Amino acid sequence: MNRDVSLERRAVKLHAASFTAMSSPCEVLIETADEALALQLGHLSAAEAWRIETKYSRYLPDSVISRINNSHGAAVEVDTETASLIGFATQCYELSGGSFDVTSGVLRKAWRFDGSKALPDQSHIEQLLSRVGFDKLDWSPPHISLPTGMELDFGGIGKEYAVDRVLGLLTARFEGALLVNFGGDLAANKAPATGPWCVGVERPDTDKQARMLLDFSRGGMATSGDTHRYIEIDGQRYGHILDVRTGWPVTGAPRSVTVAAGSCVEAGLLATLAMLQGEQAEGFLGEQGVQHWCLR
Amino acid sequence: MQLKKRSPAELRLGLMAATCALLVQSAHGQEATDTTADGEKPLQIDAGALYYKENAGRIQSYDAIVTVRKDFGDEYILGLNAAYDSLSGGSPTGAIPNRAAQTFATPSGTSVKAATGAPVTYTTASGRTVAQLSKVSVYTAAPGTLPIDSGFHDQRVAGDISWSQPLGQNNKIAVGGHLSHEEDFRSASANVSFSRDFYSKNTTLGISASTEFDNVNPVGGIPLAGSDYTKLQKGSDRTKQVTGGQLGLTQVLARNWITQVNISYDSSSGYLTDPYKIVSVLDSKGAITGYRFESRPESRARRSIYMGNKVAIGSSVLDLSLRHGTDDWGINNDTIDARYRFNLGSDDLYIEPHLRYYQQSAADFYHLYVSSPGVLPTYMSADPRLAAFTARTIGFKIGVKLQDQDEVSVRVEAYQQDAKVRSSTLTGLSGLDLNPSLQSFICQLNWRFSY
Repeated sequence: MNRDVSLERRAVKLHAASFTAMSSPCEVLIETADEALALQLGHLSAAEAWRIETKYSRYLPDSVISRINNSHGAAVEVDTETASLIGFATQCYELSGGSFDVTSGVLRKAWRFDGSKALPDQSHIEQLLSRVGFDKLDWSPPHISLPTGMELDFGGIGKEYAVDRVLGLLTARFEGALLVNFGGDLAANKAPATGPWCVGVERPDTDKQARMLLDFSRGGMATSGDTHRYIEIDGQRYGHILDVRTGWPVTGAPRSVTVAAGSCVEAGLLATLAMLQGEQAEGFLGEQGVQHWCLR
Repeated sequence: MQLKKRSPAELRLGLMAATCALLVQSAHGQEATDTTADGEKPLQIDAGALYYKENAGRIQSYDAIVTVRKDFGDEYILGLNAAYDSLSGGSPTGAIPNRAAQTFATPSGTSVKAATGAPVTYTTASGRTVAQLSKVSVYTAAPGTLPIDSGFHDQRVAGDISWSQPLGQNNKIAVGGHLSHEEDFRSASANVSFSRDFYSKNTTLGISASTEFDNVNPVGGIPLAGSDYTKLQKGSDRTKQVTGGQLGLTQVLARNWITQVNISYDSSSGYLTDPYKIVSVLDSKGAITGYRFESRPESRARRSIYMGNKVAIGSSVLDLSLRHGTDDWGINNDTIDARYRFNLGSDDLYIEPHLRYYQQSAADFYHLYVSSPGVLPTYMSADPRLAAFTARTIGFKIGVKLQDQDEVSVRVEAYQQDAKVRSSTLTGLSGLDLNPSLQSFICQLNWRFSY
């Protein structure tokens, strides 16, 4: 794992600290001329991102998630932070009528969104669906019991959570303007003295020059949809957002949805829920009254 | 869990509330989790002072110890250790008490008086006649007391360096080196260890090896082993080597119980004799007829098995260990060591009582004294450390936690060593305590802080 934090001066009073976490390029923009301070805040940001990544990674055998996923139905006692994340996932499951489900990760075993043309076996999907369903697990804080074969995956909220946490950590120590950007999911505390942050959203084309430029001052912004993760069969494009009821990708969804909300976690959730609406994504976001940008 | 379709406003407000709850918690958890990030940590420094004193004018020492530990994150750890000791007083020479006063030369002394007090001169191994040398340095043991060369002074400086780091996913490797210097003893050693974690770190297997090279250059030269003490047959410095290895298994037995089993082996060769130790030579009635320099085998192999346990009981920790050792000199030993650490009132103040019991059998060539006329054994030593004895330690440590990991602690311990054989049936020795008990006292002050 690359544990470098690099610092670059972007303007007289603007430093950018960059590092890699959660398989994404991460950048923290800090409105200060003080290089030492910027580097210190950059290291603090990276340490926090790596901490969350290590704690909740599905791939690390010592992570909290691996401990729960390998518990074979036994009750696992979790710490306060994990408890509040599970609590949050519970509320999201209820609010979304069951369509947002952190146990849906096992469905990925059937789908490989690598641009290939292979559709999975329906029997495989049905077999996996029997291992999905937030209502099948027992959550009596601080103990969680996850039936054998099921898996928790905080991948859908982990990066957004890390963005909000890092912004929280930095604002407790620094009064200037900050923008935290982890692979396109971002949060800011306020606009710099020179005007709002300008954020570019990549269009779902291969041409990276074609960007949509958005002004952004404070709150969170997140994008759902990945232009490189899809399957296309008989002209039908299947994106990587899966419907837990069918085990199939949602059809008719925009290629990407960007939402601005009070925090990055909230924006990310709204963007994911919008994707799950398929054709009705824009309508759903309109009803929610949030700023959004859908690209089809 | 009842799932129903929510109105847009209901969903939005619900999401805002849930997000708010999540992030407010995380703001509270912020300070606590700051330090859990596995990044570079500040320098941890332990500065300590130790005072050690034995009874009856034996050894007394003042030590200063500084340990520095730098954690570069991700378990890349550098350790440095420096110690300075100032020793004075003396150890028992091996000669037994006598009804009359006994007079001895100090190791650097060049003249010897016999037990009768009459001055004598002898030719040294190098052919010099002692009487020609001007400086005479002698000491006398009062009647009935254990002969101790109390004019001894030495200073020791020692340094250690160690480095440990992960090697791949579940492995750890560590290397270290050690140097120490005294006026009459120099030592250099190196060690390497490798460990691997299994079963989500519940099991750790370790293997280590070490090698040590020592140079013994006693004041006044190396006496010819087994030779007559008064003849001062001395040669130049000698060396000794020690190589050893250890296999270890650490196992988490329960959430609050960790146990460790080690099997160790080491082999020494070279000059293993103590150049300052002598053996009394007695006639059949128990009268002292002279002294011999001690003589030990030039090799020694030791094996031991150790089992340690740490058990957490609430906020207290019990540390209980057992050790059994054996060697080809015939010394078998057993140790039981218990410490129990608990908080006093608050979490910031703790006390840790310590009890230890040790016993060993005597080396095959240990003799309280040897008899003449008769054939003297090839190997002989009257060093009390090679006798059969039992030892008890009782003590405690009190620590006060300051901010972060900083801590001030005081350790106080008392030690008593009692030899199993302390008297003789020989008429000349009746009523004498030939191997008096050793009592010692340790007081250590330690300050741990971060920089």
